[in-house]
Amino acid sequence: MAVMQGFRDRVAIAGIGYTEFSKNSKVSTLTLATRAIAAAVADAGLEMDDVDGLATHRVGDSALPATVVHALGLRDPKWLLDLFGGGSASHSVVGQAALAIAAGVADTVVCYRAINARSEFRMGGTGRPLVDAAETQYQAPYGYMAPPQQFAMMARAHMEKYGTTAEQLGAVAVTQRGHAAMNERAMMRHPITLDDYLASRWIVEPFRLFDCCLETDVAVALVLTSAERARDLQRPSVLIRGIAWGGGFTLYSSDRPDSTRSAAADLAPRLFEQAGVGPRDIDVAELYDCFTYSVLVQLEDYGFCKKGEGGPFFESGATALGGSIPVNTHGGFLSEGYAHGLNHIAEAVSQLRGSAADRQVEGAEIALSTSQPGYIAGNTSALILRRAP
Amino acid sequence: MTDPVPRPAPQADRDSVPFWEGVEAGELRVQQCDACGRLRWPPREICGRCRSTASTWRALSGAGRIDSWIVAHQVFHPAFADSVPYTVLQVAVDEQPDIQMIGLYEGEGEPAFGMAVRAVFVRGSNGAMLVHWTPSPG
Ligand SMILES: [Zn+2]
Repeated sequence: MAVMQGFRDRVAIAGIGYTEFSKNSKVSTLTLATRAIAAAVADAGLEMDDVDGLATHRVGDSALPATVVHALGLRDPKWLLDLFGGGSASHSVVGQAALAIAAGVADTVVCYRAINARSEFRMGGTGRPLVDAAETQYQAPYGYMAPPQQFAMMARAHMEKYGTTAEQLGAVAVTQRGHAAMNERAMMRHPITLDDYLASRWIVEPFRLFDCCLETDVAVALVLTSAERARDLQRPSVLIRGIAWGGGFTLYSSDRPDSTRSAAADLAPRLFEQAGVGPRDIDVAELYDCFTYSVLVQLEDYGFCKKGEGGPFFESGATALGGSIPVNTHGGFLSEGYAHGLNHIAEAVSQLRGSAADRQVEGAEIALSTSQPGYIAGNTSALILRRAP
Repeated sequence: MTDPVPRPAPQADRDSVPFWEGVEAGELRVQQCDACGRLRWPPREICGRCRSTASTWRALSGAGRIDSWIVAHQVFHPAFADSVPYTVLQVAVDEQPDIQMIGLYEGEGEPAFGMAVRAVFVRGSNGAMLVHWTPSPG
């Protein structure tokens, strides 16, 4: 633990870059990646030749770091990471890049995620080849093969055990849409009501259309460098206060607990101890929202409310802008778009810089940003960020 | 039932062949650890509790309880285009409820949490025998 506490505040996120969020980018994932990286490097006030490391997570759907390096003309990169993994790996990539910088292996690393998750490789599973995993043989023959189905199974268990309601799931969709209305990047900005939510078509019960995130063509990039170096750059420094990983359970782990507990419950104590803060210290939380339910279970498993009370807690308004713990201030995957985790970190950075315009959480100093809470893949990761004093 | 295209057939791997042979024979076979007695499924060489690699295959009763369920409306694979909406269960087996299997529900009406079910063996449009679940009153 001493080592990890020594890591506190040593690495900064100095730049963020986006492409447009769209349903059809009309360009390759390589082009999306180089555009977002160029934007992030410019945002940091650095030159492309300052970049000496690249990292991404992929599920066989995007340009490799080794390809991007050569496209950008980076000579002699010192550190590359190509991590196989979905949403549960998103914050892991950034955490590992930060460790590489803290260890002195690289000075400036860009983490990116570039996907044509609507026009080429649909993230929801429609028309996509079956996942090459040992578990597929026990599921696909029964028509059980897509993330919305897997998360719906978990959501149903939570509804049965704790009485979580459709209206509470709907509150997540409605509230986040309200946040997206204040975000000019967001794909879905027109407000919806709870009635709109309830009238939206079934995807897989208990999930309706508005329970499911958008499938998006987009790239987001983040520039990481040492806190010392970031101090001299043009943007307010946002420091990585804590990083943690968690294992959790898959459906096929032995001794697994019931279906209502995510791996975030194992990760959260480590993360908060490492960062030296608790849930009450978090000013804004960007929680992985592949589906509405994922937000509710994380509110519980990260300790913002008691186990089983995520639904009533969200419904109380606590998680809306102006509430005690605003969640997914950009609209999240449900309404801004789906950049497989990195847009959550980028939004946390904007909040801590104080540059989130109409959706700014006043005085935000400490943010939590999380990856998929480890239900399906059996791993998760999360970051706590803080504004430099 | 005829499907527009065959449903995905189980792709057995080198660990799971005995399980799928059991399904073809109308049995749900799992490994039992010779050292600690723990049941293990899906198949793998090592016991995740005591780390023994000695095990013996045994047949389950086929009885279980519903842990969760979904009703699929969206078609994610063309084989299921004519089957929606269909109900998929997550079933905890009676002998050791942390062993949970995914399978199709063959029953009238809405499933319920904790409802007793039993395995039935159905030959699918892919030619393979599959495990479905039906209510088991009493
Ligand atoms: Zn054992």
